[in-house]
Amino acid sequence: MDKKILFSRMLKSKFFMVGAVLVLLIVLLSVFSPFIVQFDPVTNSLKDRLISPEYFASGLSGHVFGTDDLGRDIFSRLLLGSRYSLFIAAAVVLVAAFIGTILGAVSGYFGGVTDMIIMRLCDIMMAIPNLVLAIAVMAILGPNIFNLIIVLIVTSWVQYCKVTRNNVMVVKNAEFVKASQVLGAKKTHIMFRQIFPNVTTQLIILISQQFGWTILTEASLSFLSLGVQPPTPSWGNMIADGRNYLITNPWMVFAPGIALMITVLAFNFLGDGLRDVLDPKKI
Amino acid sequence: MPNVMRFILKRLGMTLVILFCVSIIAFGLIRIAPGNPAMLVLPDGAPEEAIRAMEVKLGLDQPLPVQYFRYIGGVLKGDLGTSIIYKIPVKDLIFQRLPVTFQLTVITMVVCLLISIPLGIIAGSRQGTIIDFSATMFALLGQSMSTVWMGILVIYIFSVKLGWLPSMGYGTWQNFVLPAITLGYPVAAQVTRMGRSGMIDVLKEDYITATYAKGIGKAVVYTKYAFKNALIPIVTIVGMQIGTYLAGAVVVETIFAWPGFGQLIFQAVGTRDYPLVQSCLLVSAALFAIVNMFVDILNSFIDPRITLH
Amino acid sequence: MENNVLLEIKDLQVQYVTERGTGNALNGLTLTIHKGESLGLVGETGAGKTTAALSVLNLLPKPAGRIIGGEILYNGKSVQKMSNKELMDIRGKKISMIFQNPLTSLNPVFTIGEQISMVIRKHEKCTHRQADEKTKQLLEEVGIPGSRLHDYPSQFSGGMRQRVGIAAGIALNPELLIADEPTTALDVTIQAQILELMKKLKTQYDTSLLMITHNLGIISELCENVAVIYGGRIIEHGPVKDVFGTPLHPYTAGLLGAIPSLEGKKERLHAIPGKIAGATNLPAGCAFHPRCEMCIEKCKSQVPPMATVRPGHNVACFVKAEGK
Repeated sequence: MDKKILFSRMLKSKFFMVGAVLVLLIVLLSVFSPFIVQFDPVTNSLKDRLISPEYFASGLSGHVFGTDDLGRDIFSRLLLGSRYSLFIAAAVVLVAAFIGTILGAVSGYFGGVTDMIIMRLCDIMMAIPNLVLAIAVMAILGPNIFNLIIVLIVTSWVQYCKVTRNNVMVVKNAEFVKASQVLGAKKTHIMFRQIFPNVTTQLIILISQQFGWTILTEASLSFLSLGVQPPTPSWGNMIADGRNYLITNPWMVFAPGIALMITVLAFNFLGDGLRDVLDPKKI
Repeated sequence: MPNVMRFILKRLGMTLVILFCVSIIAFGLIRIAPGNPAMLVLPDGAPEEAIRAMEVKLGLDQPLPVQYFRYIGGVLKGDLGTSIIYKIPVKDLIFQRLPVTFQLTVITMVVCLLISIPLGIIAGSRQGTIIDFSATMFALLGQSMSTVWMGILVIYIFSVKLGWLPSMGYGTWQNFVLPAITLGYPVAAQVTRMGRSGMIDVLKEDYITATYAKGIGKAVVYTKYAFKNALIPIVTIVGMQIGTYLAGAVVVETIFAWPGFGQLIFQAVGTRDYPLVQSCLLVSAALFAIVNMFVDILNSFIDPRITLH
Repeated sequence: MENNVLLEIKDLQVQYVTERGTGNALNGLTLTIHKGESLGLVGETGAGKTTAALSVLNLLPKPAGRIIGGEILYNGKSVQKMSNKELMDIRGKKISMIFQNPLTSLNPVFTIGEQISMVIRKHEKCTHRQADEKTKQLLEEVGIPGSRLHDYPSQFSGGMRQRVGIAAGIALNPELLIADEPTTALDVTIQAQILELMKKLKTQYDTSLLMITHNLGIISELCENVAVIYGGRIIEHGPVKDVFGTPLHPYTAGLLGAIPSLEGKKERLHAIPGKIAGATNLPAGCAFHPRCEMCIEKCKSQVPPMATVRPGHNVACFVKAEGK
């Protein structure tokens, strides 16, 4: 697509701009969080238990959102927790997209028995509710971050596979692909140079949407103590910790809850914005 | 219509194949779990002979295929094994818990769809208006709400601050409201979005212009002629979301101490009650597959192209 | 002659606003259709034919397309000024339309019977059963067994679907039938069948016909008069035998020269040089001047007015009009 049009659409799409700015901000905050936080997020400090939020009364050196039941600074845990959430989501989305896209492309391009086997595999994966499978597998494998990433990849590659396959099947039969076949182009050339660029739009949109889903699922698993394990902070397990202090220290739940909401909202905005921006049907 | 019958039979066959594969996965997952199930049944420090005897009793001394066929044979006869923790047949446990979950999910789903389908359709047919904007925001927010955060937020607002509704438990209608909101909001959000974008796409079609050219008014086009087309992606997404929904029930039931199937799965996993985990996986997949099958059949009635090709 | 005017399009200007820029699809289109007349509107792809058709029913795609000037009078009444209710009463009953692509203009999730009978039920007080009865008759009339009433569009071929479209178009014996390239999307043999059908129906019904096409053969088969559109404006208008026999405008002559003939001696086909004037970058003056072999200095800056060269035969060309 015309770069100029793409750029003007980006500036015009409110969803895209808000999403992009927020995502950038969140990523920057999380990357530079070690330089921002003033407290050790993991070590208990029982004399500082359940301090009320000072907000920004004493800048970043105070307990901005107060402390939790073990005397740890909530703001510090929040920022460092974001690194786990974002890292896990990024790893899962990229690997799952890679695997799913390859399988989908192979399935769509070759068709026949290959397609049938891969598609039935997708059907089976889709037959078990994602989170239920993730819960069972995490319980069996034992909860740690590596297993968490594996489980989330296993439950999310199917989406990319299906989307890529369907797009490849459509593009494969398009005239311009037929034309290059007639001209004697190699299969790999057709696959990577002709077909792939035509399915990337959908993939980019799906990836940004899946980012949100992965962060939410990770939070649910961590909440159920089947994800990131304490004392390592993650937004999910922070919400679980804060449940019992809802009356006295609601910020124990509010801080990670709102962070979770804004982050996922940012990725959803970005996904919607990208769909508007990249929509080839829009004249 | 024979077309529809053929489609239903084909779909039924596919469901059975999928369930067969799921049963292998459920069985396999349990076998790769560390630890000896026989030791879990017995008290700590049980003598070696007792463990051996229990292995024989549980059939663990047999080769894996034999164990699998014993298990699946039992399942077909309605025997889902015995829970290690509860010491009662898994089947009884599941049948106790399922109705409790159905109560929550079915009613929530119906209310959700009654709100979100019209909302999505109206938003899509009035693109750019304040209604459209509000519906879009409602949907985006709903899709960004984590179930855990949503659950605790409504507890904070309605139980802690306002004191209107109980924060947990089961039995009265008051107990029902908060779990239903938590479970339903993300689904309503997604359906609203699908309805909106479906409607926007349909309204651009040639056949809608053709319908207007016949003198049909906007009201009838929106509620009848474009509505049916826009319903197709909604039904599909609802079918696909049933699984997410079931999974959401695990979290929601845990938060609100709702004694349903979701909580049973979570507890089974936590206590390593393997026969229970295995059968819960199978049952949830079966439920999901059956619901999906009905959704596909329903869709084939809305969209004649499905059965014809 | 003047008092039996059915539809009058006066100096119609339609603009499309898109991201890629603003396009002027129609630039002062003037056209009159009399009662009982069948008029062919001929032009290349992108000349503004479909836009003209949709404007008549006030069905331009919103918000991209809008009328920025001129007016359309139906029985002396401005279509743009009509209320929604008046428009709805006219659409399908007084003026009906057959669409270009039968694959996209029938709703895939409703039976073909429903798509015909909805127009009947909308405009006539009748029960579902009566509407269905009438639909069956209409289907038979266009060559589809009435028993297929309950079948869906995907169960029909393209040609059969266009027959359904025609049946819906003639259902209420409209005063004006607008056919927007009804055969373009079809195979050649099917095109001939549809054309036969339209000819047959034309003799049965006393409907006026606005036949939009780029196929000159269809026009000479079906129409009495023809209007040639180029760059969103009519450039030649007259009886079919005059326009096709002695074309005045260089563009019309070019169009006719580009048709191979099976009879007579084999001649080289004449292609019109250059590309069709696009709606986004319309040339100044006569829109055709960059491609015209007879172009004079005046053509590059001034829009040639419509001039009558012989009775009923008009042309918008400085060179040809001065010659007479």
